[in-house]
Amino acid sequence: MIARRLRVPALFLAVALSAACLTHLGRAKRHYAEGQDQSRAFQTGQAVAHWKTALDEAAKSGRRRPSAQAFTVKGLAEANLGLWREAEASFLKAFSLGFDEGEAWASDSALAGLAASFEELDLEAPALRIYGQLVDRSDFRPALMIAAGRRTDLILARSAGLDPGEKTRALAALAKSLDRLLDRDFACGLYHYLHAQVDGHLGDLRRSYEEAVMARELGLPSEKIERDNDNQLVYCYVRLKDSLPPADRDALAAAQARWASKWGWRDDRTPAWKKE
Amino acid sequence: MSKKDIEAALARGVDLLEKFLPLKSWLLFPVLYSACVWAVRRVFDYRERILAWQVWLDPDFVRTKPDDFILAFFCGNEALGREYAQEIAREDLRALRAAFPALYPVLGLEDAFLKALFKAEIDGADYRVIVVEFASRTAKARDDLRPAAADPEFWKALFFVTAEAAALGLHLLKDEEVQDMIVGLIKGPVSLGPTVPPEA
Repeated sequence: MIARRLRVPALFLAVALSAACLTHLGRAKRHYAEGQDQSRAFQTGQAVAHWKTALDEAAKSGRRRPSAQAFTVKGLAEANLGLWREAEASFLKAFSLGFDEGEAWASDSALAGLAASFEELDLEAPALRIYGQLVDRSDFRPALMIAAGRRTDLILARSAGLDPGEKTRALAALAKSLDRLLDRDFACGLYHYLHAQVDGHLGDLRRSYEEAVMARELGLPSEKIERDNDNQLVYCYVRLKDSLPPADRDALAAAQARWASKWGWRDDRTPAWKKE
Repeated sequence: MSKKDIEAALARGVDLLEKFLPLKSWLLFPVLYSACVWAVRRVFDYRERILAWQVWLDPDFVRTKPDDFILAFFCGNEALGREYAQEIAREDLRALRAAFPALYPVLGLEDAFLKALFKAEIDGADYRVIVVEFASRTAKARDDLRPAAADPEFWKALFFVTAEAAALGLHLLKDEEVQDMIVGLIKGPVSLGPTVPPEA
């Protein structure tokens, strides 16, 4: 009799708890997606706010009813916030609950976190080795993008101290590795941006200009990177314009004027964000 | 929503909060801006989230630039070109390269937080002070917040200011508009005293 009496409230409680879990997971997914949208629109503050909320909601969902989805969303939010160790734990949990790719993502998150730790300790050589590993074989985009960016900057910084022949060889190898990344994902604006930077060091201003234009068109992961890319684009444009014969110069100026108008720039060399 | 009403609310906030951060008004930018972000979301653990705020959230840009890019950066900004005329004339890339990491994010990328942090120096074209103080001042930015953060009245004031701005439609403004508004309202540091960069 007592058991029968308790059955109805227990059923209600189960439904309510289940609904709450679904709500938490639903909210986590929605906030994660909104964070991605805001990040693409360079609303970094808002993006971070969404990712932190997604993390909180996914954690609540994971505590109440552990699921691969909840821990995957949690891990993704953590990876976007640079919390690599936490992301590793979340992906491992997701793997144990049936998310097949979770193990590889956990391993890549661990490597990204380890490389960042080495960098903080000024141990660049092991950091570079790890970033190289991630660039060569990772399919986990957040870790891959961080690794590609950091590896490029570290190699460029190291190459400054090399003799000209060695420097050219190091930069050519770096450009080749970025070509391979572009073969895998040509629509990734960040890889075009990195290529434009390396081309600038190699003195190939035509290619650097073209890569910077593609990077801008395809979109970049942050406002700061987009601004740096704009500066590179303008620098290459000005230098190229000075070096070309009149007919080519006019063609380049016309092309740049069209891009500038499309992007809403004040003129062919002043992006809209420039205050002065 | 009126943008002017929001600006007026934030201006009152800046005046109020400056009492908690005397001589360090440049710290108001990260605090007030992150408070604005969270105020719009009406979260309960407001204080914890603001303190956990990271100043540099964006993925990093490629910092190593070719010599000619660095030279073009110094020549491309009139006031900067004047200040570094001698180094530019003798193509002293060593000196220009040393100054570049501090000046490029502030003047080349127009980073909103750094512009607030070095507002007085930018207004006075004291670019060499930015180079000397860059490392120490950016490192100090968060540590110096701690005494004010220990005062419950500071949080009450911050909550009051941003709640008012949120009620006026702060969420309808773009991140950059809010940042520019706060930078415009903040007065430069009155006196920070001499500081030495950690690597010196």
